[in-house]
Amino acid sequence: MFRPEEMLKIEVITLNRYKDTLLTYLHEEGVVEIREVDVDIAQNDSPNEFHRKAASYSITISRLVDFLKAYKKSTGGGIKSFIFPAEPVKKTYRYEGIEKLIKDVEAFLSVVEPEIKAVEGKITSTQTEIERIKGDMAVLELLSWLNLDVSYLRSTNMLEIVVGTVDKNRFGALVDDVKGATEGRFTMVSREFKDKVMVVFLFLKEDYEKANPVLAKHSLERIEVPEGRGTPKELLKVYEEKLESKEKELEAAKKDAEMLAERYYEEVRFYQELMENERDKASVLPMLARTNMTFAMTGWAPRNGVSSIIEGIKRVTDGKVYINVKDPSEEELDEIPIKLKNPGWARPFEMLTEMYGVPKYNEFDPTPIIAFTYSFFFGFMLTDFFYGLIVGVVAALLVKGHKRFNDGTYKFAYTLLISSFFTMGMGALFGSYFGNAGDVVLQYLTGNPSAHFPRIADALRDPMFVLILALAIGLAHLFTGYTLGFIVRWKNKDRRGAILEQLPWMIIILSIVLFATKNPGLAMPAKGLFGLGLVLFAVGEIVANGGLAGLMIISDFFGFVGTWLSYARLMALALATSGIAMVVNVLVAMVWGIKISAVPLGIVLGLIVFVGGQLFSTAINALGAFVHSLRLQYVEFFGTFYSGEGKPFEPFRARREVSKLEVEVEA
Amino acid sequence: MDPIVYVSLGAALAAGLAGAASAFGVGVAGAAAAGVVAEDEKNFKNALILEGLPMTQSIYGLITLFLILLSAGIIGGGFKFTASTPDNIVKSAILLGAGLTVGLTGLSAIPQGVIASAGIGAVAKNPKTFTQGIIFAAMAETMAIFGLVGALIMIATGVGL
Amino acid sequence: MEAGTITGILDTTLALVFTWVAYKTGSYIYKYTPYSYPNARINAMEAKLLTEQRFNELAESRTLNNFIVSLEDTDYREYFTDVSEYSLEEVERGLERALAGTYTMMFNVLPKRVGPFFRLLLEEWDVRNIASVVKAKSLGEPASDYVIELGSMVPKVKAMAEAKSMEEILVILEGSPYEEPYQKLLLGEISLQEFETELYRMHYSKLLDYALSRKGEERVILEEFVRLKIDKLNILTLLRAKAAHMSAEEIRPLLINGGSLKLDSMLHVDDLSMALAELDGTKYGQVIRDVREEVEKDLSVLERTLEGHIVTRMNELTRFYPLSVATPLNYIVRKEREIRKLRAIAKLIADGMPAERIKGIVGGVA
Repeated sequence: MFRPEEMLKIEVITLNRYKDTLLTYLHEEGVVEIREVDVDIAQNDSPNEFHRKAASYSITISRLVDFLKAYKKSTGGGIKSFIFPAEPVKKTYRYEGIEKLIKDVEAFLSVVEPEIKAVEGKITSTQTEIERIKGDMAVLELLSWLNLDVSYLRSTNMLEIVVGTVDKNRFGALVDDVKGATEGRFTMVSREFKDKVMVVFLFLKEDYEKANPVLAKHSLERIEVPEGRGTPKELLKVYEEKLESKEKELEAAKKDAEMLAERYYEEVRFYQELMENERDKASVLPMLARTNMTFAMTGWAPRNGVSSIIEGIKRVTDGKVYINVKDPSEEELDEIPIKLKNPGWARPFEMLTEMYGVPKYNEFDPTPIIAFTYSFFFGFMLTDFFYGLIVGVVAALLVKGHKRFNDGTYKFAYTLLISSFFTMGMGALFGSYFGNAGDVVLQYLTGNPSAHFPRIADALRDPMFVLILALAIGLAHLFTGYTLGFIVRWKNKDRRGAILEQLPWMIIILSIVLFATKNPGLAMPAKGLFGLGLVLFAVGEIVANGGLAGLMIISDFFGFVGTWLSYARLMALALATSGIAMVVNVLVAMVWGIKISAVPLGIVLGLIVFVGGQLFSTAINALGAFVHSLRLQYVEFFGTFYSGEGKPFEPFRARREVSKLEVEVEA
Repeated sequence: MDPIVYVSLGAALAAGLAGAASAFGVGVAGAAAAGVVAEDEKNFKNALILEGLPMTQSIYGLITLFLILLSAGIIGGGFKFTASTPDNIVKSAILLGAGLTVGLTGLSAIPQGVIASAGIGAVAKNPKTFTQGIIFAAMAETMAIFGLVGALIMIATGVGL
Repeated sequence: MEAGTITGILDTTLALVFTWVAYKTGSYIYKYTPYSYPNARINAMEAKLLTEQRFNELAESRTLNNFIVSLEDTDYREYFTDVSEYSLEEVERGLERALAGTYTMMFNVLPKRVGPFFRLLLEEWDVRNIASVVKAKSLGEPASDYVIELGSMVPKVKAMAEAKSMEEILVILEGSPYEEPYQKLLLGEISLQEFETELYRMHYSKLLDYALSRKGEERVILEEFVRLKIDKLNILTLLRAKAAHMSAEEIRPLLINGGSLKLDSMLHVDDLSMALAELDGTKYGQVIRDVREEVEKDLSVLERTLEGHIVTRMNELTRFYPLSVATPLNYIVRKEREIRKLRAIAKLIADGMPAERIKGIVGGVA
């Protein structure tokens, strides 16, 4: 807790023939972050033929997956599978080296790919066919005014026939130009459509070449006359039949695709995952150094996992390996990857810290504090027992359903669940049950018009109290932040920074607290402390900014005031929750009494408004609480001490959802 | 003008201006959200959260409306400043001022929407910037919060709840 | 105070505050709202531009068939659906269609007050096509090989390529803005090279006029973009001419006005390296400094460098004005570069070049 996981640097040198097995072993274990080996004498390794094949097959297979997925019958779906997703079945693959794997994939693809490709080709070609037929039909529709056999619209040995459309306002000029170019040797028919004119020109073969540039000049858009004989109307019927039969073909092809999806989808997914992991594995090769016989690798691993890793490496390499493990040195401080280490209850909150940025190796991990303050602020801003309950129930379901995946949804739901306890607590403290709905019901039940649940204050009647409470909490939060910053800097030997940047604010905050007690006896020490803090702060600014200090003192001081006042959002959002809840309740009260001849329509309507309104209010206020609670951590709290500039630990790890690897160790 | 005009104007402007600004803000961000989702549906969740941010100002407006009406006695009792005396006019003017403060600071919803819109675009380009995008957008809301605090003090100290 | 005075002060204040607020809010909304949708969408599209790793994988495709298959999980897919045989021409056509699609999309989604700029940009392809068709025709080469199916007048260009004589082309161009320079060319008043320059000059002055007719940020960004393009063209023309030892008087008619660079001093030097030295003293000095030596050997390096400079500048502007026309411009120049790379890869694959060589060459085609 409060410190990132201790990391050790591992260096490994072994024979080239163990490379594939060793990498596969580490990839499956997923506890080492591999870094580039920095040596000049050896060259870097590079992917071989098989790795390249893996990359290209992974694209091919993901195309197949996309295609099959589109035709896969969806199972279940909806809310249930979102809350309780089924665990995918993991198929085992016996790994005997990448050559064998590529061979297996090739064997699989040689059977499956042509089958899928055939159906896919059939579908696309039928679809293009249908599009073409539809296009032809549209042309026929356009031509229907001609009422003559379309075969007459095709050029012959002697005649060139051009069908096309042209802008209405260019038509006159076009005809004139054509007349000029062909010296009048042409005939034409035309018809106006909206802003276009459709025209059929008939030229002698030898005149066509003269007319053609003119047609281009006026941007005549040519129309391809569809195949077939008969008037457009007759031909349309023929085309309609064609279309129908093609559509049937398409249906049949889609059925085939569905069958293929059922038969192969799982398997294709399985091979896709295998290939993608190979591709990922190959991505570290350029970080290794190699000679003819050996290769070297370096990386970082958490201390508690190192011994089992060393054992594993020895096992897969038959002990023919050199391993060096060492503690990180002072110079490597910025290099060390950061893995957060927290007790189970706080671990899901690491997500919030990681979203901002992890601490440096010698810095403080604020996760446990965030776990408390984030949830508490969330609760403060939502402040309603039932809203907390709703959020809590949803979060609890998600936690239950997603726990075994340990995914983002689980972590987020867990933080929500903790926050919902605070929400319920705060709701009970302020006597807020669906806003004032609880009170209204209580008043109805007891008959006392001023009855209400026990509460420390009514947020809407006494907002100043809530505001002061919020600011007090803010002061405490900021004080914690500055104190932490002070401690960390002091420990890391940056004593001057600690005294000049964090300490002044700690003193100033203490003096504000003394002022706030309004105890006349404490007024003097408060003034003294405040003065001391201010002087220290001014000195800090002068040391840091020199000439600009004057400006910075003013701007930073009011920056602090702004930061502090920013905690007023705790009150604003708490007020917003009770405000919206009350608006919903007022609306319900308005419609509640409506009756249409003894039918209590108002009650039904009221219930609908109540449920819908309160759910909406829960959602929107929870969103606000989430965003602003996060903001108070990131901007106000982290601003006092936290850099978040560490490098997160990114282990070399396989992603396995539908596959499992059984690694064969060469004897 | 009569006190009632100021009071109702204050309440209306607080909720109305802030609400209109929120609508513009959500509108701007919503257009961006539609844009990124058109290219890739994966952006939906992130875009939705960012799009919702400029909504808060309208809530502050609503609260202020409520507090003004409460303070003037329109909710719970009778209107307190019926007579057009200078004292009543000043009090109602303070309420108008409070409403105006929230209404005008509520205009921060529009730039917030623009920031959210840019944030949605940035998240589509690089999903890792999501948190930063949220924080940037939440910055613009600070002004609205200060406005609410100011209005609260005006109502509580100047007129009384 | 009288009640009347109080209300008077209040009312005046209200009126003033509201006028100001309404004006500010209105102009703010007018400025940013129209870019919200398109820029967000373009950002999402930028995320889908191909990565370096993707290009490497494409370079390793070996056959055009694989090349297209590798592109199938990208947005290029829709432009290759009706490709039946995987010939180089088909691939190039597909890529051209993809670029045309990008321009059309920009034009459709961008606000009306800048959308037409992208239509004007598309006309650059008209200029290129006309110039190459006319050149090919006058050299007696088959012109249709040089037609790129992009631009606002593809059918006309195709008809020009099929024309039997130079006069027929005149008939086709009649009524278009390109008629006049072409007539001059036919009458022998200007050379082929001057004809081409004239086309570009017309095109860029159109772009510049449009850019200058805009307001605020839009004007700043568009103007910079156009001037960068003009500079690029002028620098290249000038240096090529200097490499061919042409005199200042010969070069001057080949330059285009409107660039941000004063070229006079460069015009009057004797050879390429001196011209480069002059260029070093301008704002482009920083840009070419790193590649100076290569440029002296091969001017196409300079072309790529300047192209890269436009991309960098647009990227900077995008960061500076996230909700402005900089984002689409930045996307367009990147997309053009991507398509250029793809074309190069496709061509090299069709030539049977080994993957490692392709990577090397394409890495340079920036």
